[in-house]
Amino acid sequence: MSKIVLKNYADWQQDDTNTTFCPKLAILREKGRQAFLSQGLPTPKTEAWKYTKLRNLSDEEFVVESDDKNSFHCHDEKCHCHDEHETGSHEHCCCHENCLPFEVYEVNFCNGKLKADHFHTTQGLSIVSLTDAFENGDVFKYLNKSFDINNFPFAALNSAYLEQGVMIAVDKNFNDDKPILLNFHSHGDIKRLSNVYNVIVAESGARATILEHYYCSGAEKSVYFNNIVNEFFIGRDAYIRHYKVQQEAFKAFHIALNSVQVKQGGHYESFCLQLGADLSRQETQVVLKEPHAEAEVNAVYKMNGWATLDTTTDIKHISKETVSHQLVKGIIGGKAKGVFQGKIHIAPDAVKTEGYQLHKALLLSDEAEVDVKPELEIFADDVKCSHGAASGELDKEQLFYLQSRGIGEDEAKTLLIKAFTDEVINKISCTAVAEWIKSL
Amino acid sequence: MAKKTQIIDESGDKYKYGFVTDINAETAPIGLNADIIRLISAKKNEPEWLLNKRLQAFEFWKTMQEPTWAKLTYDKIDYQNLHYYSAPQQKVSPKSLDEVDPKLIETYNKLGIPLKEQEMLSGVVAVDAVFDSVSVATTYRAELAKQGIIFCSISEAVKEHPELVQKYLGSVVPFTDNFFACLNSAVFTDGSFVYIPKGVKCPMELSTYFRINAKNTGQFERTLIIADEGSYVSYLEGCTAPQRDENQLHAAIVEIVVLKDAEVKYSTVQNWYPGDKNGKGGVYNFVTKRAACRGENSKVSWTQVETGSAVTWKYPSCILQGDNSSGEFYSVALTNNYQQADTGTKMIHIGKNTTSKIISKGISAGFSNQTYRGLVKVAPQAQNARNYSQCDSLLIGNKCGSHTVPYIENRNKTAILEHEATTSKISDEQLFYCRQRGISEEEAVSLIVNGFCKEVMQHLPMEFAIEAAKLINISLEGSVG
Repeated sequence: MSKIVLKNYADWQQDDTNTTFCPKLAILREKGRQAFLSQGLPTPKTEAWKYTKLRNLSDEEFVVESDDKNSFHCHDEKCHCHDEHETGSHEHCCCHENCLPFEVYEVNFCNGKLKADHFHTTQGLSIVSLTDAFENGDVFKYLNKSFDINNFPFAALNSAYLEQGVMIAVDKNFNDDKPILLNFHSHGDIKRLSNVYNVIVAESGARATILEHYYCSGAEKSVYFNNIVNEFFIGRDAYIRHYKVQQEAFKAFHIALNSVQVKQGGHYESFCLQLGADLSRQETQVVLKEPHAEAEVNAVYKMNGWATLDTTTDIKHISKETVSHQLVKGIIGGKAKGVFQGKIHIAPDAVKTEGYQLHKALLLSDEAEVDVKPELEIFADDVKCSHGAASGELDKEQLFYLQSRGIGEDEAKTLLIKAFTDEVINKISCTAVAEWIKSL
Repeated sequence: MAKKTQIIDESGDKYKYGFVTDINAETAPIGLNADIIRLISAKKNEPEWLLNKRLQAFEFWKTMQEPTWAKLTYDKIDYQNLHYYSAPQQKVSPKSLDEVDPKLIETYNKLGIPLKEQEMLSGVVAVDAVFDSVSVATTYRAELAKQGIIFCSISEAVKEHPELVQKYLGSVVPFTDNFFACLNSAVFTDGSFVYIPKGVKCPMELSTYFRINAKNTGQFERTLIIADEGSYVSYLEGCTAPQRDENQLHAAIVEIVVLKDAEVKYSTVQNWYPGDKNGKGGVYNFVTKRAACRGENSKVSWTQVETGSAVTWKYPSCILQGDNSSGEFYSVALTNNYQQADTGTKMIHIGKNTTSKIISKGISAGFSNQTYRGLVKVAPQAQNARNYSQCDSLLIGNKCGSHTVPYIENRNKTAILEHEATTSKISDEQLFYCRQRGISEEEAVSLIVNGFCKEVMQHLPMEFAIEAAKLINISLEGSVG
């Protein structure tokens, strides 16, 4: 257990996080640490963080728990492995394990810690804890492979503490009968920094649905920081649906990176709903590596109070004949601030590609703010790309129309907002998840 | 601005303004330091306050870093290896046009800019001709003066109208604004000054023609336009430079102050030497242009056609302070070969009911890269602000790049902001349609490109529009097939 204050990162000495017995892991952690130290914390001058200020995230003193030292086996010959498994250290908690109205394959995290070592799985689906995956060694083929850690300070920080997370592998024998739920439950008073790193590998022709759910129980004002990295490797003709619902506590921090690689004919469908946290950033980077790879990145964010919610996307069309669609909508009230930065990059020779992006924001209060930076970076001529961005308040005529039919003002507003967001939610192809998200 | 579009000369060189005028010039020693600034100031017989302003800017500039955020790559500029002042030698300030060196008159005639006050078929245009660091002639001054309009070089304005210059110079673009503006504030040499008095509609187009001639010389011009209450002026700007293997630096500032109910239309056809087809030579064009709509119902409109320069860094902006004020930005940028352009606009909405409109058309061909970079910002007090932005890009060939980076910052819920951007190539159907009617591929492309730009071109004064359309055809040459 150690404590860090992010703004003092310069004094951050090599500490016990690197005393693992697995050399490969030690290297990854050290790389992460170095990458974080060399980038430092983003400032408003950091272009990728221009509109999102860290505010008190950098001042808070966070506890980082690490019980890794002897906790796993490693087959690397140089390792001195220990057999005893420290399991008793998990606090007892009273999480609802699955409060969703549909069946799932469950993976539970409690305050950033994986709660079990074995998971209920089925044919074609394998879920192992990252610690077991380190042992097995395969996971090193994937970790930090889909993005450059030197461009993502928080992913670098995450790697420096690499320990918690799961590796999910699916192949074409998995029938995608129910979503795989990654349930992230936070509670308690400790100001924790939880670093969770998940790797999702979809073999050729596989289909799967991943649902992430972040929520907090107990004190509404708990301060904690969830720093998440998910890496997706989508094989040929595989189809991955990835949904996320973020309902963190109001004073919490949530920074997440989804880094996705899609091979020929593969499809990545994602939807992210952000509702909570004081500062939340969802960054999605998709690399469409081979022809006919497709990505859909949709999101809705809704907030009040003082929150800052940031949705950042970067879709890289590396290969010809790739397609991407993005639709992001925000509803901003109170003194909150919405940020959308979307980028479509088309590499030279990536011809016959299509990239579409649309962002719309509704401002509900006088002090709400929205900052948008939709970006096109295009190096090939035979492409169809467009982006659009609009912001404004609720249409007065639409409100009047509803009110003139006897619907009260508040109800009319709710109705209009629901219609506004449903356009995005309806793009979710898994109906059970879509219905649940609409009910939130 | 008539007939300067004879077809390209036989040598196959497309840039027909690339000649050099052989004229005796008085040039400041190479390098930049406080003494050079004192020398420039002394050459121009400037008052003490202006010299102090220059030195203050220079001190600040030394603490600044050259910006690197633009999508531009160019060799580092050695600011100590430039002449900051170069003026054609002539008898002490010519009293009338007849006294201007005939060589200069000839140069401008060759560029198609008549410095004679004559009725042209295309209408009457008053011209201020700036050659390297000085203004050599300003036409129609007397006639304009009858209505109280002041149109002269900025050096003359400093002497003759110090109260206006002192009040407004640097009030829209302070010297602390950015690296290039700060450099300009320290070393600016000449430029145009326009003052339109209350209620006057300027009877003719005013125009400045910038020409870089001397070798290894930076041109730092400064233009200040003040439109007093209820006035109107349409202002044109044109630029060319000789064809040289070295890069030339051009860092200008244009400041426009628009008071209550006034309107200013500012049009630019920028045709600095773009470098040869291998990207050698060409002008580095770093320009800060900004208009402040200070009064109610004031209006400003920027129209630009950018076909020249090796590197363009230019963001004509509007600060919409007055209630009901409006800003417009119409731009066509065409890059070919190895040209690079990073251009766009800023619309800052501060007053109530302010509106702005951005139409930007980018065409990239060859190995060129261009970026639209724009900011629309709505302050919390800007009730009912309205913006519409449209940025379309056309790519010709698969070695060029086109990028769009709009920033939209909204702090008022009653504001309605819309932004749209598209990127595509020339559609095969359109090309096929033209070809089957017997139009050659090259002609068809230029037809389609001109159609693509039409929305912007129609905002140019007529004689400029014809000129600009031809310029686009010439710049496109060699990019097809």
